[in-house]
Amino acid sequence: MNQLSPVLEIRGVSKRFDATQALDHVSLTLYPGQVHALLGENGAGKSTLIKIMTGIHQPDQGAILLNGRSIQVTNSSQAQLHGIAAIYQEPMIFPDLNVAENIFISHRGRGAVVNWRKMYHDASDILGKLGVHLEVRSQARGLTLAAQQTVEIAKALSLKTRVLIMDEPTASLSVHEVTQLFNLVRTLRNQGVAILFISHRLEEIFEIADHITILRDGKLISSKPVSEVTTETAIRDMVGRDMESFFVKDESRRDDLILSVQGLARSGVFSGITFDIHHGEVLGFAGLVGSGRTDVALALFGISPADEGKIIYDGQPVTIHSPAQATHLGIAYVPEDRREYGLVMPMSIAANITLPMLRRYLTRLGIVKRRAEETTAEEYRQRFSIRASNVRLVTSKLSGGNQQKVVLSKWLNTKPRLLILDEPTRGIDVSAKAEVHHIINELAKEGLGILLISSDLPEVLAMSDRVLVMREGRQMGIFTRQEATQETVMTAAMGQKITVGGI
Amino acid sequence: MQKVRQLIRPEQIRELSLLLIIILIVIFFGSQIENYYSARTFQRISSSVMIIMVVAVGETMVVLTRNIDLSVSSMVGFTAYLAGQQVSQNDNLSPAVVVLLAVSFGALLGLINGLLVAYGKIPAIVVTLGTLAIYRGALVEYGHSKNILVRDLPDWLVNLPRETLFSVGELDIRLLAGLAFIIVIIFQMVLLFLPYGRRLYAIGSSPDAARIAGLPARRIVLLAYVLCGALSGLGGFIYLSRIGTVGTTAAQGLHMQVIAAVVVGGVNIFGGSGTMIGMMLGAILMGILEQSLIRMQINEFWKDAIFGMFILLAVASDALMMNRLRDLWARGAIQMRIAQDAAVQKE
Repeated sequence: MNQLSPVLEIRGVSKRFDATQALDHVSLTLYPGQVHALLGENGAGKSTLIKIMTGIHQPDQGAILLNGRSIQVTNSSQAQLHGIAAIYQEPMIFPDLNVAENIFISHRGRGAVVNWRKMYHDASDILGKLGVHLEVRSQARGLTLAAQQTVEIAKALSLKTRVLIMDEPTASLSVHEVTQLFNLVRTLRNQGVAILFISHRLEEIFEIADHITILRDGKLISSKPVSEVTTETAIRDMVGRDMESFFVKDESRRDDLILSVQGLARSGVFSGITFDIHHGEVLGFAGLVGSGRTDVALALFGISPADEGKIIYDGQPVTIHSPAQATHLGIAYVPEDRREYGLVMPMSIAANITLPMLRRYLTRLGIVKRRAEETTAEEYRQRFSIRASNVRLVTSKLSGGNQQKVVLSKWLNTKPRLLILDEPTRGIDVSAKAEVHHIINELAKEGLGILLISSDLPEVLAMSDRVLVMREGRQMGIFTRQEATQETVMTAAMGQKITVGGI
Repeated sequence: MQKVRQLIRPEQIRELSLLLIIILIVIFFGSQIENYYSARTFQRISSSVMIIMVVAVGETMVVLTRNIDLSVSSMVGFTAYLAGQQVSQNDNLSPAVVVLLAVSFGALLGLINGLLVAYGKIPAIVVTLGTLAIYRGALVEYGHSKNILVRDLPDWLVNLPRETLFSVGELDIRLLAGLAFIIVIIFQMVLLFLPYGRRLYAIGSSPDAARIAGLPARRIVLLAYVLCGALSGLGGFIYLSRIGTVGTTAAQGLHMQVIAAVVVGGVNIFGGSGTMIGMMLGAILMGILEQSLIRMQINEFWKDAIFGMFILLAVASDALMMNRLRDLWARGAIQMRIAQDAAVQKE
């Protein structure tokens, strides 16, 4: 921060979409070598601001200044020429191309003919400077999300990027990977890159950011150095009201078992998974992304069945080999990716909620009973306060948090007794997150057994009665609520030492 | 194993297995058909494959961008007819002019497709299904259902298919088949070594990422269609010289064979992966099948059914095999990273 002239200034930018004022005279100043965090609930205008900076949208009003000179950004390649690059939550890579190609695809002036040898050499060079080990010849398709992001960062760096926008880069990363990413961010900062960092995880913001700007309803609420911001003031600025810092689940565990799993394994993916879930209990699944948590869930739901071990459900030994059978047993699985597996976006809220149980809503001639369908959906809409004027609205129009509530409603309507939630609050804003937590609490009180997979450690700790930790397909231990702390769970997840825990 | 994975890509294993299937099929037909291993068989197969191969080079480029061109058969028919008509009316047209006429008229038809797909934002399958009918309809209107006859064509054109480039023992490598092979090689080089080629893969691999990366996606797709049209024009010229008698129904249905060659050759129908060499092997495989089944005097219905079965098998085995292989390769990469991480930690 010894250089005091800003690299990019946004002055009084406004943008209007039909009836909504997405941005209202927002200003933002980015300095070289500074990590600037942008906070705000979903719909606060963060995405619109990014899209204006990268040329996807044009502002109705206001100006963008690069090194003090006003610039026009009308498309991505222009943004690139100005040295502005963005990295998104879902890496925008080319799965069929290899690492080196992905880094150099937008480069100009590397000659008329592709010099593969030089390209591999240069790519290794760039990755080496970032201190990462990646085989430059391997196809991007097989890389982990974290590695794909690294490729994007390497690409941005090689394009002489001066302003790097990172839109929720940590949302799908594990703790370990976040640490690595932050090391990268610090490397970039030290090289004088201005970074605009967006995340829903406050503790990360406080760890990495130098300056915090908060948006709400398209307006700039505050913009201060990190030293003048606390978790409480940040949350208050974001939601516009005071909020309890983290909701803690009520005690609701009963003595009767709903599920008992013994030595579950799927060759090459996970092995030796043993746990019980009681009625009214939330069992948290912690671990790094790729540690096999989702794979255990997929096995329990019959999508990719286990090939070893015992599953005792409701006192009966069962083998689960298809989702239909799992649903029949009363198991529901709410997947991580809402867009791809959770919802049929162009269909209405009501149609989505009744989809798995459509048979119940048919007349004898097989015609859908719209009114019955809408009555059910309406119940859920009120119960979970889904923000939509009516249940005939298509789900693609809803915010992420409200979409997640629709997904939950859909599976609860199958009247499950065991609910598997995979990253239920990923990418949704603080207040929607709190609402989802309340819903989980209510469901547990009703006696449902809940298996909660989450990469958000405070969430797992606050919401679970017990926490099972996995690492590289193996179970590292189960912690009671008293035993489970950030340190114990993290230590087990990183595999630094095996902690003994009860089952 | 690690070294193997670095040197060979899953796609190359696929091409090798296609080659193996071709060899097995040739051995099979050799045992069923008398006098199968002859220069005549080779000649029949190579001359039937060459048109499909040239057109399929263009189709491959379009398919790589996650689009499709169904109108190639009408473009081949139209350019063949147009070139035939011009050359029979003006005897003194030089060969180069005739080829240029066919290629540039094909490019023009391809340009129309490309503009509608890339700039009109109409799905490729809809656009080219439309132009498939429109180009054919325009040809019928233009040709007044009159045929171009062999006797009206100049001698150089009629004799062209018998021009031999060189001979290997009894096998004559014809000029046109050689030309088709060279075009495949040239465009394989384009895919491998020109930025344009890599961008074709990029766009088909992830259109969203292409937009974010600032690639001129519309121009790239447009050029792919123009090239596909131009190569269809060249295909039309070869068709004219080989068949001679060209009516307004010329090359009807050819697009199915072209797309079959592309798909059997391992070009992903959803874009992003595939090679010209693979496509060529696909075209050769389909050509051998077709000619050999004709020789075995299998009736038309069964021939088509066997054809269809091969396409299904190719696509299904492709999906299964490629997923497995990619998985294996990816796991190898992860194992390597873990090993490296461990090594770093030890230090």
